[in-house]
Amino acid sequence: METLLPELLRSLVSGLLMGMVFALVALGLTVIFGVMDIVNFAHGEFLMIGMYTTLVTAPLIGVDPTLTLPLAGVVGAALGLACYFGVVQFLLRGPMVAQLLGTFGLMLVLRNLALLFMGSEPRSVHKGWLVGQSWLVGPGVVLESTKLAAAVLSIVSFVAVWWLIRRTKTGMALTATSLDKEGARYVGISTERMNGLAWAIGGASVAIAGGLLVNFWPVDPNVGLLFTMIAFATVALGGFGSIRGAFLAGILIGLIVSLPTVWDAFIRYAGLGDLSIHSFKYTFVYIIYFLIMVIRPQGLFGWKQ
Amino acid sequence: MEAVRNAFDFSDFPRLDLWVAGGVLAFLLAFPALPHSSFAMTIMIQFLMFSLYGMGWNTIGGYAGQVDLGKAQYNGIGAYTTAVMMVRWDVPFWVSMPVGMALAVGWSFIIGYPLFRLKGHYFAIATIATSLILKDVFEVWDFVGAAKGMEIPIRKNLPDFLYLQFKQDYYYYYILLALFLVGLLYLNAFRHSRLGFQLRAIKDNEDVARSLGIDAHWCKIKAYAVATAFVAVVGSFHACYNFNIEPEDVMSLDLSILIAMMALLGGAGSLWGPIIGAAILVPLKSYLGDWLGASAGLVGLNLVIYGGIIMLIAAVQPRGVWGMVEAARARRRGGHGAA
Repeated sequence: METLLPELLRSLVSGLLMGMVFALVALGLTVIFGVMDIVNFAHGEFLMIGMYTTLVTAPLIGVDPTLTLPLAGVVGAALGLACYFGVVQFLLRGPMVAQLLGTFGLMLVLRNLALLFMGSEPRSVHKGWLVGQSWLVGPGVVLESTKLAAAVLSIVSFVAVWWLIRRTKTGMALTATSLDKEGARYVGISTERMNGLAWAIGGASVAIAGGLLVNFWPVDPNVGLLFTMIAFATVALGGFGSIRGAFLAGILIGLIVSLPTVWDAFIRYAGLGDLSIHSFKYTFVYIIYFLIMVIRPQGLFGWKQ
Repeated sequence: MEAVRNAFDFSDFPRLDLWVAGGVLAFLLAFPALPHSSFAMTIMIQFLMFSLYGMGWNTIGGYAGQVDLGKAQYNGIGAYTTAVMMVRWDVPFWVSMPVGMALAVGWSFIIGYPLFRLKGHYFAIATIATSLILKDVFEVWDFVGAAKGMEIPIRKNLPDFLYLQFKQDYYYYYILLALFLVGLLYLNAFRHSRLGFQLRAIKDNEDVARSLGIDAHWCKIKAYAVATAFVAVVGSFHACYNFNIEPEDVMSLDLSILIAMMALLGGAGSLWGPIIGAAILVPLKSYLGDWLGASAGLVGLNLVIYGGIIMLIAAVQPRGVWGMVEAARARRRGGHGAA
């Protein structure tokens, strides 16, 4: 048991921390979905742009990558606004197909702009306060500072967005818009601006997630799709439109992704090496999405059907 | 026999459509005899393949209005069935193609049953998820070559009509053209069939359709199976045409979405739509890639333009090119009525 237990603990801790980042990635999607019933295929590309923002600007202005997070947030918010007022606004007039296609086109454009300007090779952050630091907590369990910081800042962002939506007047207007568009318009809320705000919040939170992620995850122009799918699964699991649900579901997804590692440790211990399921790491995410949608479409905590 | 009569019944189209269709058909038949570059030949073959994909997608996505973004998995089943049977057991294309089709259709029933309990976005994303699951499985499955894929060995005596191996592309072209015409006639019959009418009723208003006694769930599963059969046949053909298949190539999400795009761009729910869509998108994508791709040192720019065009169409005319034509026709007719 001496080798098994630390390995279990390590993958659980890493799953927990990754889960909080997944939650932050999903937060933007769930806010946008809650307010306006639209699925954004370009969500992972927003994350990719957040990653590049931190990667490029940190050496450029000569500060630590961690300090560029607000900048990533601003870039994400601006991108969200630009996408909403430039494209999505027009897509909403058409049928659902138009939204799927339109945001898919957006995804192609963003991904290939990144390819055009940044090249296709994966890049990662090599120096910074957080990079390379780790602490040994407990037997064999290593806590990487990059992941820990990402998890902590993810919780901070969640609290900030939750506070913005539940405790401020603007946030209440946003909630009103998502509950009843017509009604919100009658009491003088500009639903157009609320939609724009949802995209700004969505863009900012996912870009910040990107800025955190780039400290331990190499970025390339195609990184987005995996995270788009993870975000879809997270949002489906937590319930479309639910903020609390996104957080809990993100952690669950993080644990699910780390399960194959646990299983592999287990079978290595038992001497059954060829039953490894490591390469199915993300397949479980898709399976969870499928099962949740079929069995419980409103998700674990959702209120929208 | 009514189905056969329906397949050849184009009488509900305006005369202009039929003249244009006849002209296009004459061009398609004559194309290999005309002077052309080998690049143009590749594009024509791609055009026919994507027309067939699009026609298949049109049954579920166009007539039934269910946005399916997971068609690549059936392309993969078709392609892998043909490749595996050819490599491992030396089975000819004309045997493995129906087997691949049957396997794909069988799989489509299994996952179609739970899938069609979902609607709208949820359905669309779930189809993506199912396709990615299958791709992940194929990427580690040693029997089908895992991530490396399969390579069909080249036969000794060419041309080989049983195993679909030719030196010259025009053999492939004519076989594909024959499949294309069969597909077109089948869809023309489908349009007039009971299922075709049921699907359009479901698309217009599912609740009303169900109140009239239409089993919407079962109708959608049947249409999904028809679409799957089309895609699987093209998949089998693709395996022979390319010799080399791998999961990333035949089961990617990009392919799934491209298939949907052909039909949507041309005009979903119309007979000509997918063909028009393929005729626009395939050359556009190939030539943009040729002019602006790696050779020009601007990797990505071609796909930026391509994505921009898709975005523009989605925003301006979500009913596609054929939607525009029909809107223009309705306007002209309206103008006559007023005068």
